[in-house]
Amino acid sequence: MDKAELKQKILEVMEAKIKKGGKTKIYLKDLQREIPGANPREIKNAANELVREGKLEYFSTGSTVMFGLPGVGMGLEAGVEKPEE
Amino acid sequence: MADEKVIEKLKELWTKYEEIDGKFDEEMDPVFKEPYYPGVAEKLFNPDKPMENRITDIGPPYFRQFLPPIIKKNYGKWVSHEIIQPGVLKYESETGDVIYVVRCGTPRLETTDYIREICDIADKYCDGYVRWTTRNNIEFHVDSEEKLKALIEDLKNRKHPNGSYKFPIGGTGASVSNIVHTQGWIHCHTPAIDASGVVKSIMDELFEYFGSHKLPAKTRLALACCLNMCGAVHCSDIAIVGIHRKPPMVEDDRIQHVCEIPLAIAACPLGAIKPATVEIDGQKKKTVRVNAERCMFCGNCYTMCPAMPIADGEGDGIAIVVGGKVTNRISPPKFSRVVIPFIPNEPPRWPTAVKWIKHILEVYSQHANKYERVGDWIERIGWEKFFELTDIPFTEKSIDDYRLAYTTYRTSTHFKFTKHIEIK
Amino acid sequence: MSEIKKHDTPMVDQLKSGPWPSFVDDIYSYGEKHKKQCAFDLMGQLELSYKHKETHWKHGGIVGVFGYGGGVIGRYSDQQEKFPSIWAFHTIRVHHPAGKWYHTAALRKLCDMWDHRGSGFVNFHGSTGDMVLLGTTTEQLEPVFFDLTHQFHWDLGGSGSNLRSPACCMGKSRCEWALFDTQEIDYELTMHFQDELHRPAFPYKFKFKFSGCPLDCVAAIARADLSFIGTWIDEIQIDQEAVKAYVNGELKPNAGAFSDRDWGPFDIKKEVIDLCPTKCMHWDEKEQKLYINNKDCVRCMHCIAVMPKALKPGKDRGVSILIGAKSVILEGAQLSTLLIPFMRLEPPYDDVKELVYKIWDYWMEVGKNRERVGELIQRIGLNRFIVDVMGMKPIPQHVRIPRNDPYIFWREEEVPGGWKRDIKEFRKRHPA
Repeated sequence: MDKAELKQKILEVMEAKIKKGGKTKIYLKDLQREIPGANPREIKNAANELVREGKLEYFSTGSTVMFGLPGVGMGLEAGVEKPEE
Repeated sequence: MADEKVIEKLKELWTKYEEIDGKFDEEMDPVFKEPYYPGVAEKLFNPDKPMENRITDIGPPYFRQFLPPIIKKNYGKWVSHEIIQPGVLKYESETGDVIYVVRCGTPRLETTDYIREICDIADKYCDGYVRWTTRNNIEFHVDSEEKLKALIEDLKNRKHPNGSYKFPIGGTGASVSNIVHTQGWIHCHTPAIDASGVVKSIMDELFEYFGSHKLPAKTRLALACCLNMCGAVHCSDIAIVGIHRKPPMVEDDRIQHVCEIPLAIAACPLGAIKPATVEIDGQKKKTVRVNAERCMFCGNCYTMCPAMPIADGEGDGIAIVVGGKVTNRISPPKFSRVVIPFIPNEPPRWPTAVKWIKHILEVYSQHANKYERVGDWIERIGWEKFFELTDIPFTEKSIDDYRLAYTTYRTSTHFKFTKHIEIK
Repeated sequence: MSEIKKHDTPMVDQLKSGPWPSFVDDIYSYGEKHKKQCAFDLMGQLELSYKHKETHWKHGGIVGVFGYGGGVIGRYSDQQEKFPSIWAFHTIRVHHPAGKWYHTAALRKLCDMWDHRGSGFVNFHGSTGDMVLLGTTTEQLEPVFFDLTHQFHWDLGGSGSNLRSPACCMGKSRCEWALFDTQEIDYELTMHFQDELHRPAFPYKFKFKFSGCPLDCVAAIARADLSFIGTWIDEIQIDQEAVKAYVNGELKPNAGAFSDRDWGPFDIKKEVIDLCPTKCMHWDEKEQKLYINNKDCVRCMHCIAVMPKALKPGKDRGVSILIGAKSVILEGAQLSTLLIPFMRLEPPYDDVKELVYKIWDYWMEVGKNRERVGELIQRIGLNRFIVDVMGMKPIPQHVRIPRNDPYIFWREEEVPGGWKRDIKEFRKRHPA
């Protein structure tokens, strides 16, 4: 899988998760599980590149970091809640 | 200077940095000679093009540019040291150079004005160089006894408006050094106790032990305001850790909007959280249920999910752990053990916790041998003896029931007869 | 500037008295001098916490600087009405220079920046080692980052599922016991792993700590996923004349660390020989000479620390590398486990980098969410980790004691004939 494919695949996984009404923020581990063909380092690099391109954003609890699609799910600031599903 | 000029200047300085990959050694990065320009960041940062002008992945400044010349000259050449009085060290180099170090405690939580005062002192006596230790102490370095004398005199006279020392001297040798601690109620969202207030209260009471060498060995204190334990509480001579005692509440009407429910469920180390559905105003809502009997109050769920608050004024408080250490000296490093499972929060001065800590320290000081750390002393006399000597009530709470608990049980007939054994 | 609103803080005010430096006096003095509302609001909120015995800070959410997954931690007050100036009060971790040496030119400039962009409150330092800037709004995060990088050439530290800011002791800069260059390797690895430090890469946090000797002043063995602790392989260097000087009371034991108590005259037998954990030392009273059986020495540093002018660590120096320390969350606290007993270090530390990648690759592949590498090793077994993952030879030094149960996971290839057997053949020998 080349990088462009991998990035596309990552976005597909994210969108599918949201459509299913499940998680809007996911760990790198979750991406690995969904994309078994790629190695963890490549997935990490591709996901981080998507963040630089503004197509993904980080969500940090302080102790751990997850990935999300910008504007979906838990809001930018605590107290700003995600819209009714 | 106009902002455009400043930006030009900064670009020049950046080129200089890039030329040598930031490895400023003999000379400090000239960027620090420039004053701070408050307006230019807004000119450089463009929210619509966030990558424009962005510098990333440069790390901290190369440390050698901040080393005093005498330190640089003798780097790796030091041959011995001596503590000439509590808080004051003398180092000798194979080159014949000598340097004196004065160590001062700080509250760790401080203002830029406090840092500026440190800078004033460092500029006056130390050519502008200063260092922090891993235990939040500051170290000032001078190269002559005259400067040392003047520096010590100066430090002793610097006080806050209500009389506390700004820079108490100590923390060396067989002392209680500064407490390594966390944020507490001043700036953390998961604490069970405050940090800065508790630390201030303890250090006020143990002040004489900070500035003297009268203990059997160095005694390391630490405080963590919750079980996340930012800080080496689990390996300290005497330490405080904040604990919760009530299971988290679940905000049914809010949880699905503010939490990733699967993550909250996965956060529980004991599998005590299960998914659930409730009906609120005729609407089905996803939520969770907590099996309170399995909860060990670690707070990990709240870390992951703001709709499961666990903090509680009555439920939360202090546990005291003792006997841990990090150093390999004499005996291997070891964990601290819970001796007082709970003391309520008593702001602003936590008198019960302070009393017990001072008491444990003084019983240790009275009974331990020279060089014996708290944990080594207790292992020599036995934990039953420790509880007897300190009069700390032994409760079931000090008997482990988590992972590897069995390794802490007494599986021998080696024990001492203390007051705990009742013989009919 | 609008009028400053002050709050009554009778409980917090009680922390102004006493000899230990009062953070309350400091913060109030700062607030008065700079007319900063956040000083009064912060103390006001602390007073409320003292009243309720509960924190009034809530979770962060997504705050950070663009492209970085770490370095900023979001923080909000739940008392927006009462203390509006600290409603958004985020933390910024600034990566400390190795060994925590500074020049005031840099510190003063940082203070000016932080007065302008934030609260003016700091931690020197946070538990991981970073300088911590406490309290600013979301809008100020990018400007702070641009200021730091353009006007200081200074970067953020790590947080979240990243490599955290490595930390080291003062090492060769001032300590005669620094057995390797802790600051140089700290800097080199920090720079080499910048991507992992700023962007999430792992199942959870990962820490490096470097202690120059087994006294371990940065608590590497208790707090780092990969702990580097200086050690030596040859003989302790002895200056017999200086030993005599200690014995005769001319030199102060332990560099004067016990000066305020009368422990009696120095007794080398009681204070050094008898406390040696392996009893590998002998003091010959007649000869007035110290003998050390270095083959039995475990390099605990006690004798060296007691007689620093007489004894020095050996000359052939390197590090012991240990893996997997962590605090109690979640599976209980762990100390680091010995992985590599001895390695000589040479910049640019390629063998260390190789080792680190090997560990990370496996952990990234097999580690679960929020599982530290030490917990992963527990889960799969130290033996599997050493042999299968690291490809290393197991040695007795890897354990304190051998296992006591014989429940060994034999591998098929280790057993003659393998595991495939014929039940019919078996029954021919053993009718059912």
